[in-house]
Amino acid sequence: MPGQFDGFVGRHRRGVTLAILIAVSLLCLVISNRAVILRPKEIGLSVAGFFQKGVTGFFRWFGDTAGSIRQLRLAREELARARERLADADRTAREAVDLRRENAMLRELLGLAQVLPAQRISAGVIAKEHDNLFSVITINKGSRHGVLPDMPVVAFQDDLEGLVGRVIRVGLGTSQVLPLYDPECLVSARLDVSRFEGLASGQGAERSTLLMRYVKKIATDRIEYGDLVVSAGLGGLYPPGINLGRVRDIRAETYETSLTLEIEPIIDFDRLEYVFVLGVTGAP
Amino acid sequence: MGRDLKAIVAAFFIMAACVVLQSTILGKVAILGVRPDLALVVLMFVALRRGSMTAQVSGFAAGIVEDLVSASPVGFHMLLRTLIGFLYGIFSGNVFVDPLLMPIVLTIVATILKGVISGLVSLLFGLQSSGFMYFAGRLWIEAGYNALAAPFLFALLNLLKVFRQAEKEGS
Repeated sequence: MPGQFDGFVGRHRRGVTLAILIAVSLLCLVISNRAVILRPKEIGLSVAGFFQKGVTGFFRWFGDTAGSIRQLRLAREELARARERLADADRTAREAVDLRRENAMLRELLGLAQVLPAQRISAGVIAKEHDNLFSVITINKGSRHGVLPDMPVVAFQDDLEGLVGRVIRVGLGTSQVLPLYDPECLVSARLDVSRFEGLASGQGAERSTLLMRYVKKIATDRIEYGDLVVSAGLGGLYPPGINLGRVRDIRAETYETSLTLEIEPIIDFDRLEYVFVLGVTGAP
Repeated sequence: MGRDLKAIVAAFFIMAACVVLQSTILGKVAILGVRPDLALVVLMFVALRRGSMTAQVSGFAAGIVEDLVSASPVGFHMLLRTLIGFLYGIFSGNVFVDPLLMPIVLTIVATILKGVISGLVSLLFGLQSSGFMYFAGRLWIEAGYNALAAPFLFALLNLLKVFRQAEKEGS
């Protein structure tokens, strides 16, 4: 019997190796992911949905192409309007920077305590995700520098501090940061002026905008393009008041009970070289 | 087996080097944030030259490295590379690979295959990766980018003796 088994393995060496490698990979996936969906109905739905999405997307592409000529004319008009709005937004941004500077000076004059967290660990970005399926930023500071999982990470660009993401994995001398543009990076957010709250998350691509969901519909008239969005500090992961981005678009679908805001991130992730890990988690 | 082992080790180190390059300096030449997957092109080359066994084992080993440096759960890239290595290895010795056209065509197919497999694994394991949105446009940019790199990488890898002789395999 052992001889027969050896013979079978010898004859089907390639297939047996493949089966072992797939089994090991799946086992690792199940263990590391901790949440395998092994319900036949859901699996069937997922697989069918994958192809349905593909077919719908294919035909929608044709429909969109046919309608693109009309869209082009509309886009030109929209562009002219957007340019006007951009000029307004630029003015507002400059005013905001001035106001922040003035605010900092006044705080200093009044002797108020700074709202910055106590400890900041500076770090350099050494690598990013190697393929285009997941999102991660690797920094050159790890546990021996005091970095811990779930610590928020910020950076300064164009005189503004912006949220980069949070630490998800810590090595001895390096750490991995889940960037703000990842769909799994959820941040409780607040509009800086009107104070309405929502939940911000990324869309997966480095250059994509963020989406701020669950903003109350009554906020529609009180939100302006270019309004600053900051972290709300709810949930304890991110301190309040860290800049996330500026409102670029307001989506108010009639069938939705809340608004979805498109947010242009403060941080340009293409230019990201240095970051600060906030040593104190939660609200300061 | 000695020669197979050499090919597996060589392929593993080349793919691991590609992963390091992709995560660092190749970010500078990313198009719309999309970087080429050189490790995939190397895996394809190894599979076509050395067959399924060498490709699936070296792909699996390189997948371990990829899972360690990536945000993906351990096993994701291992599975992806094993399957692609095996599938392409089936055609070893049966496909004439010219210096230009075939590398481009095969790379585009491999990238699409990567998109399909990663999408299915993401769905089955409930992963919130951008692999879900892979068909939205980034896949096609990556396919083009990989295809552009393929003829050059194939030419370079052709110079290595260790990959030259095709594997004679059983079933």
